[in-house]
This record gives sequence, C-alpha cells and structure tokens, in this order.
Amino acid sequence: MLLVLLTGICVLAVGAIYADLEIGYYTAENLGRLAQPAPLRLRPNGVYSVAAYPLYAPQLVPGTGRQDAAAYCKTCHTPSYITMQPPLPAAIWKVEVDKMGKVFGAQIPTDSQARILQYLDAHYTPKTRKR
Amino acid sequence: MTQSSSNHTRRALLKTLGIGSGAFAFSYFAGASAFAQQQPSAAKRLSPFTGPGANPYWNSVGPMATYPQKAPLVLLTDRPVQLETPRHYFLDPITPNDAFFIRWHLESIPNEVDLSSWRLRVEGNVNKPLELTFSDLLHKFKPATFAAVNQCSGNSRSRFGPRVAGGQWGNGAMGCARWTGVHFRELLDMAGVKSGSVQVQMQGLERGKGPKGMPSYEFKKSLDLSNPVLDECIVAYAMNGEPLPMLNGFPVRLIVPGYFATYWVKCLTDVRVLDKPDENFWMDPAYRVPDTPRGTTTPADVAAGKVKMIPIARMPVRSFIVSPDGATKIPAGLPVTVRGTSLSGFGSIAKVEFSDSARGGWREAKLGEDLGRYAFRIWECEWTPEKPGKYSLAVRATDEKGNVQPDEGVWNPGGYLWNKIERQEIVVGDAA
Repeated sequence: MLLVLLTGICVLAVGAIYADLEIGYYTAENLGRLAQPAPLRLRPNGVYSVAAYPLYAPQLVPGTGRQDAAAYCKTCHTPSYITMQPPLPAAIWKVEVDKMGKVFGAQIPTDSQARILQYLDAHYTPKTRKR
Repeated sequence: MTQSSSNHTRRALLKTLGIGSGAFAFSYFAGASAFAQQQPSAAKRLSPFTGPGANPYWNSVGPMATYPQKAPLVLLTDRPVQLETPRHYFLDPITPNDAFFIRWHLESIPNEVDLSSWRLRVEGNVNKPLELTFSDLLHKFKPATFAAVNQCSGNSRSRFGPRVAGGQWGNGAMGCARWTGVHFRELLDMAGVKSGSVQVQMQGLERGKGPKGMPSYEFKKSLDLSNPVLDECIVAYAMNGEPLPMLNGFPVRLIVPGYFATYWVKCLTDVRVLDKPDENFWMDPAYRVPDTPRGTTTPADVAAGKVKMIPIARMPVRSFIVSPDGATKIPAGLPVTVRGTSLSGFGSIAKVEFSDSARGGWREAKLGEDLGRYAFRIWECEWTPEKPGKYSLAVRATDEKGNVQPDEGVWNPGGYLWNKIERQEIVVGDAA
C-alpha cells in the first residue's frame, strides 16, 4: 500500500513539472499563408521589370447598393479603400463620396450615388458596421 | 463533470495525498475533455478594422501581404497600393528595402521602366532644359549619400479621435534608408533657373484612371525655390546601396530630408520650374495642416471655416517603443532591454527619455549610433520589473531645437502630424 502511494506521488511529482507546459497542441485552423514569388527571367537590356502587383481586394458586405459601390468605386480603387476605414458617420461618408465625384472626377449617376450612400450607411457607420 | 466540481475533487484528492497543488493534477484526473479546455485556442486573426475609437495596436490591423521585391508587409489597400512596415523592423536604424513602407495615391504605377528611353527632365522656367539619362546621373555628378527618415504625413492616422478618413496607418508608415544620388540644386543650377521663378514642381510615372486635369489623373508636388531644404535634397538612384525597389520609386526619387514623404516624389521624371505657385489639388487643399501650434484644431473650428491651412512641411519629433511589444509576458525580476527608435524633421535627436508606471518620472535612455541628423536614432534602456502586474512604459524624445514630444494628441482633418508620447502596456508575470 505504501509502495503504491509512493509510486503515485512520484508520478504526480514528475507530472507536476510538466504541468505548466502545453505541448503537442495543433489545430486545423490557421492564420493563412503567403506564397513566395518566383524570380523573373532577366535579360541584360534596358528594361527593368517586376511582376504584376497582386490584388487582395476584400469582399464588401452583401446588401442593397453593393453593386453600385463595387462598380463605380473600383474605377480608381478596390473596395479595400472602404473596408480599411474605421466606421465613419453617414455625414463623413457623404463628404467622401462627394469628393470622389467633384474633386476626383468619378462619374457616378445620381441614383447610384444615393444607393452607394445608403449602402455605406447601412454597413459602415459606427452603428452599423459588423465586419 | 463541471469545472468547479472537478476542481473540488482535485483539491480533496491532493489534500488526501498531502502534496501541493498543480495544474497537472486537474488535467490528469479530470480526463481528456477537461484537458483540452485548458489548451490555448488557435491564434485569432485581428479584426480587419478598428474604430470608432482609436486603433490600439502599434501597426495597422490589415493582413500581411507579399508584393514584388517586398517582404510580407501589413496591407492597408491593394490598389492603389499601401503597405505598412511591421514593428520589429524598427529595432534597426536602417529599414531594409524589402520592408520599407509603400504608399501610392493613384493606381497606374510602373511594373517596368526602360532605362534606354527613360529621361529625367528639368524644364519650365529655365534657361537650358535638361534631359538626363540614368547613366548621366551616375557619372556626370558627384554622388551624395546620407541617411534620412521617410515618413508618411498620415503616419499613425488611426490614433485620431474622432477618426478621420484616409489611410488608417499605425506607426509603420515610416522608414530610414541611406540614399545616394545627385544634389537637386546642381540640377537646377545646370538648367539655370530664370528670375521670377517661385516654385519647383516634381512629377513621376504615377498616373490614375481619372480624367486629365483631375487629381485622379496625376500626382504633382512643389516646393518653394526659396526653401533652404532644396540645398539638402537629392535625386536618389540608390537606397541602402541598391537600386530602389520599383514600389519605392525606381529608378529615382526625390529625397527631402526632414520633410514628410509627400514631397519625396517616386519614379521622378519631371522637374518643372514654375513662375507662379502650384495650385494643383495635391498642394491645395491636399496635404495641408492648420496654421496653429502643432497643427492641431477641432472639427467644430474646421466646420466654421475658422482654420487657415498651410502646406505640411517638417516632421515633428517622435519616438517609439519597439521591444518589448507586449505580446508576451515578462517574468518579474528579469532585466530586459527596452528598445526603440526616434526621429525629428527639425534636426538631431538630443535626448530620449523612458518611464515606467511603477517608478514614474523620466530617465534618460542610451542613444544608438548617430547616422545623421535626419536619420532614425535608436535608443535602449535597461528595465527590471520587480513585481507581477501591469506596467505602462512610455518614451519621449527631444530634438536639437528643444522640441519635446507632448502627452496630447493632435486633431486635424487630414490626419497628419501625430507625435504624442507613445506607451506600451506590459504584463509582468509571477516568477516564484
């Protein structure tokens, strides 16, 4: 009986040393991985090239007006210019959309502009932004 | 079995055995399912945005992405491209070319430059317009080399309250490289600036999809010809002893030491001497800051039209804690070296001071090698947290002009000029 108890204490003591270590725990979930670019074939002429710049455009949240936003905004930039922003009040989105037309020359029909604003209000303000 | 009852069982058992407590006992006796509960969950992705409050992270929160000639960097936007340098690169006073941040305004940027037809033009209000080849720049001028910090005007914009629209940079829209090139003044002198000239305008290969004449078509920046910074500017063809990465402005870019990056025109092709001030969008209203101390104002004053705006210029003094970064605990009693970097557009860093919340007060940090008055100056300070708990570390720099970092942020509509004292929370663990 004493021997059994002592053995038990030994097992526990050894176990206790490793108790704080978390070992061998893997998960199928991952954070994503990045491919390495292959080198270009180079020739000793005057042309200096790099590969095409990759796009990593995020998805806009589904909803009414997404098509308008996707179609007109992407002339000059991908939706990353929308998703990168913090949640912005509707009034600020209006300033931004107006700027795209008046300052940058984006030709967005009035009804599409209205739908884009409604869409941004519905998904990208402090009250409405979920993702 | 619930966790509390299994804990109860464990305590009872340990008491019976007469030995001390240990997490092992719980997992050993409670079985596999409880064991799994103790394990750390898979690392979680950061949310892709922050706000409406300030971004609490050192860098911006985008995913990491790879671009040609670049290490994985934090992606803000993919077209036009904006990439931020991850924090750890700033342990070194020189930022590697492949980690140097990227910020373009327009989407049509070169993937290819043919140096057999490429020319740098110096034209406009000059006596003798120039067309220089890359080889001319290499061989017909005495090269100049110096280290200088290139920092986006909107670096740390995500700290603003209320938040403003624009590139939501953390602190990594900056870098310091050794630039080699031709004195800008020499080019102007060679072309012969005519009297009555007021500004010099720079333009590169960057183009956009917008209509001609609109800021979405081209990007142009100008500096006053009377500005003494022109004597320090170079047209750089080398960055850290290598060709510039295409995304950083191959084959040449303008270096304007001490000034924000907006003037450091990439893929420079056209230098135009102007006889009247440049009023294009990228000079006015873009890249303007309030004509107030520190360039700060309020949304109300802007809305009321009370704020006079002037072109952004030199970078205010800043300093950063790079390591430890708060991602891991530090055992109590372990001496650690707190390390970071600093910069000022007004000249050399005179002093960097460090503070920890337990001890309070400021003490001087040890400065690293001086790479020049417009370079990063790294610093370090030994720190031993005595007890477990939460600590807040702070750092502030003072430049040669006596400018000290304040403990208040700024607010302006462009999201520029942030230079508040930086803090890092550190959790110190029990080491008994």
